[in-house]
Amino acid sequence: MTKPLLEVKNLSIKYPIWGGVLRHKVNEVCAVDDVSFTINVGETLGLVGESGCGKTTVAKSIVNIHRAMTPGVAQEGEILFHTDDGPVNVLELDRSQMRSLRAQIQIIFQDPFSSLNPRMTVGNIIDGPLRLHSGKTASERRERVAYFLERVGLQPEHAGRYPHEFSGGQRQRVGIARALAVQPKLIVADEAVSALDVSVQAQVLNLLQDLQDEFSLTYLFVAHDLSVVHHISDRIAVMYLGKIVEMGDSDSVYKTPSHPYSQALISAVPQPIPRRVR
Amino acid sequence: MNANRTQNDLSKQKPLLEVRDLRTYFRVEGGIAKAVDGVSFDVYPDEVIGIVGESGSGKSVTSLSIMRLIPDPPGFIAGGEIWFNEQNLIDLTYDEMRRVRGNEIGMIFQEPMTALNPVFTVGMQVMEAVRTHQKVSRKEARNLAIEILDKVGILDADRRLKDYPHQFSGGMRQRVMLAMALVCNPQLLIADEPTTALDVTTQAQILDLMLELKAEHERGSIMLITHDLGVVAETCDRVIVMYGGKLQEMGSVEQIFEDPQHPYTRGLLDSLPSHQRPGEDRLRAIPGNVPSIMDLPSGCKFCTRCEDAVIGCENTEPPLYDVGEGHLVRCHLLEDAVK
Amino acid sequence: MAAYFIRRILLTIPTFIGVTLIVFMVTRIVPGGPLERRIMELRQASAAQGGSSTSIVDSTTMIPKTALNELKKTFNLDKPAYVAYTIWLKNVFQLDLGRSFFYKEPVWEMITSRFPISLTFGLTGFILSYLVCIPLGIYKALKHGTPFDFVSSAIVFIGYSIPGWAMGVLLLLFLASGRFVDVMPLGGIRSSSFDELPKMVQSSEEVEGVSDEFGTFQWERLTPISKFVDIVYHMILPVFCYMLSGFATLTVLMKNALMENLGQDYVRTGFAKGLSERRVIFMHTLRNSLIPLATGLGHALSLIMAGSYLIEFVFNIDGLGYLGFNAIVQRDYAVVMGILVINTMLTLFGNIFSDVLYALIDPRIRFD
Repeated sequence: MTKPLLEVKNLSIKYPIWGGVLRHKVNEVCAVDDVSFTINVGETLGLVGESGCGKTTVAKSIVNIHRAMTPGVAQEGEILFHTDDGPVNVLELDRSQMRSLRAQIQIIFQDPFSSLNPRMTVGNIIDGPLRLHSGKTASERRERVAYFLERVGLQPEHAGRYPHEFSGGQRQRVGIARALAVQPKLIVADEAVSALDVSVQAQVLNLLQDLQDEFSLTYLFVAHDLSVVHHISDRIAVMYLGKIVEMGDSDSVYKTPSHPYSQALISAVPQPIPRRVR
Repeated sequence: MNANRTQNDLSKQKPLLEVRDLRTYFRVEGGIAKAVDGVSFDVYPDEVIGIVGESGSGKSVTSLSIMRLIPDPPGFIAGGEIWFNEQNLIDLTYDEMRRVRGNEIGMIFQEPMTALNPVFTVGMQVMEAVRTHQKVSRKEARNLAIEILDKVGILDADRRLKDYPHQFSGGMRQRVMLAMALVCNPQLLIADEPTTALDVTTQAQILDLMLELKAEHERGSIMLITHDLGVVAETCDRVIVMYGGKLQEMGSVEQIFEDPQHPYTRGLLDSLPSHQRPGEDRLRAIPGNVPSIMDLPSGCKFCTRCEDAVIGCENTEPPLYDVGEGHLVRCHLLEDAVK
Repeated sequence: MAAYFIRRILLTIPTFIGVTLIVFMVTRIVPGGPLERRIMELRQASAAQGGSSTSIVDSTTMIPKTALNELKKTFNLDKPAYVAYTIWLKNVFQLDLGRSFFYKEPVWEMITSRFPISLTFGLTGFILSYLVCIPLGIYKALKHGTPFDFVSSAIVFIGYSIPGWAMGVLLLLFLASGRFVDVMPLGGIRSSSFDELPKMVQSSEEVEGVSDEFGTFQWERLTPISKFVDIVYHMILPVFCYMLSGFATLTVLMKNALMENLGQDYVRTGFAKGLSERRVIFMHTLRNSLIPLATGLGHALSLIMAGSYLIEFVFNIDGLGYLGFNAIVQRDYAVVMGILVINTMLTLFGNIFSDVLYALIDPRIRFD
């Protein structure tokens, strides 16, 4: 089954640099330069690269939060998301159209400490997007919150607690439950496991895989850790200076990279095998 | 790197640093948090020793205790000895300890972004380290600073002395930190997560640089604190695995990675995506969460998450068993094997 | 960076025009202005004369039409508002702020003559606050959580919660009214009779020596030391009231900034280098901690020079604040506008000055 869910076509994103006495645009930075890729339904695409390569910028433009965050940003190209009613270009949606699309595209952030509102209970955090998107009654939603809490490995009674009462791994589970609750088609995971301890990171990776099978989710998995990306992805795209320099099947990119940058990147990853043994 | 040096070879040497039964506690609401609880190990001349563990394992507190940099209050060293150069660091006065810091033991930290003072030039901060410990003129200090910055790979060091930390990239800042820590030629360098905040390619450069500089210094040793098992495998001679404020396993890097004996060490290695067995889709994660140091079991600290735990594990603390060639493991299951 | 400051300076022009334009228009709209006052005066005067005037009388104001037109002309009320504003603005650029309707003196002179008075009080209070608050804040940060910290915070916040002028009234009542003790002057900036002089000046001067041939007290005849002591004596209470409100803010700002910086990674690096605690605190953290205080400096500039209406009022100090206060009460719009010009300029350039300081003290700051 290779039906595309998301097609990014020739995406370029430029940030303005303001300067001069009259504060006009003196230059621009090209954060993303002519990037194209497709994610098929049920697939995981890993987007990997070092800091500043533009991978997070790509992730943000898919959920279309650039326009609101950065004035003057120039986005070119197309981001086609295939809904049941046909493809829509995310970049051309207005605010309310985007809001209704958000039920289908959810994002999980790196920092489980700062991406959850500390003054809201976990139940309310998960309920938030549900209230916006599902049109269900309060008691139905409560049931859903409890169900998804359980599904991500927490207890339904955790709904009444606040984020600070949880460990980093548990908070990331809350973030996943929040994204999952509206039953999206696509989840953009932006460095979703980077801040977690090794033993907990493995649990969360497993959870993401289980959920993918259960809810037939599609992931765009953005990360800098190549071994993690290799593990979870079907295909990998390597980004460098705003461009995709190599894209292909996960194993082949990881084991036999062809672009010099991918080679350098992969050889730099420290392997948990003592040097002398290799 | 000292190929195939085992604990037995090492024990013939006199250790550079001997940590004995170190206990560092923190006063917290509701009692005492035993962040480091009875840790003993040696660091020998000319070796790289790694301390690995997850958050709350006590690895960073151990390194800060050696430097006596534990913030007091709330922290305090509750007991133990730290022998370095014939002196017990714990008994030193404040001023005596100052002469050790930065002079005999250098230290670098995780965040090169914030570890340098943003409002002073890099030159001032490196020269300050020299002039704190050596009676040299400004000019000599400047020359020493240029020399060491040059050595850590800062191009055009002479000119860059005038630059501020924000004018350097993350990797360059960590090089400056290294220069600052090494300018007085210390015998021991403690590196606390030195590459965690850096990109992989930069990380590789910094680790290589550390090993290179160590090779130049005859008896110099590095103590590397990290959560990254890959970094440990690539750089260390010996490894200490910590969990719950205790040393759980210690051995040569081959012993730890090729023949891990502690269930926690095995679990950590299995959690790595690169250790995924062929044909297995899922990672073999350690169940449960890293416990808070406030509610650790009284027996084996790992028993709440250990899949091999048997009755009794939670009641008595296992001793460190020597399973051969200096490979030490703190696990009840090895009791019979050792006999 | 230069472009930024040029832009900021250029931006002061529209801001200045905006602020003054709004106030200027308000003065023309609000009833009870100078024209009405003059009309009232003239009517009263003509009523007193018996109202025998035969000239053509304006039907609404009941004064001669010629006189009315004359009046309107002096206040530029015969012209449209925008023309009047342009005339005013043109004069401002030639440092001509017009004449006070009330005192008939040039506004520029009224302001400049009072400027040194407000400046002395403001600057003294300002320097004293920084001299006290910075060390106090540092000490409180280092002694965080001790009884000293707690008690000093309590005192500082009590001071914060009492308005300066209210404190002034209290202090005058207790220390100067004679109802309790009488050790402080009731107000003014210097003594106006020998009896008012502080005791130590009285004992060092001869009554005859400081009086003229009519036996009247002549302040100018005091020795320089006595003059200084007398001025200081008069400054103590008002300066204390000036400082009161800013004191808490400044102390707590200093304390928090230092505490925050003491928790920074670079402090640990400093200790790891083997630096002494003194050097880490006073060399490394202090400069970082002064950054937020420096930004307040430019803003303080306008406060220092503008004086405080109410404190000057309570202590009967003839400063800029008092002048402005009276001008508003008397609808002396020329003076109001003049003081507005000064205050606006001080605020605008104070803010730019803050930015300059900010960039000087923190090398990371690059405006563009």
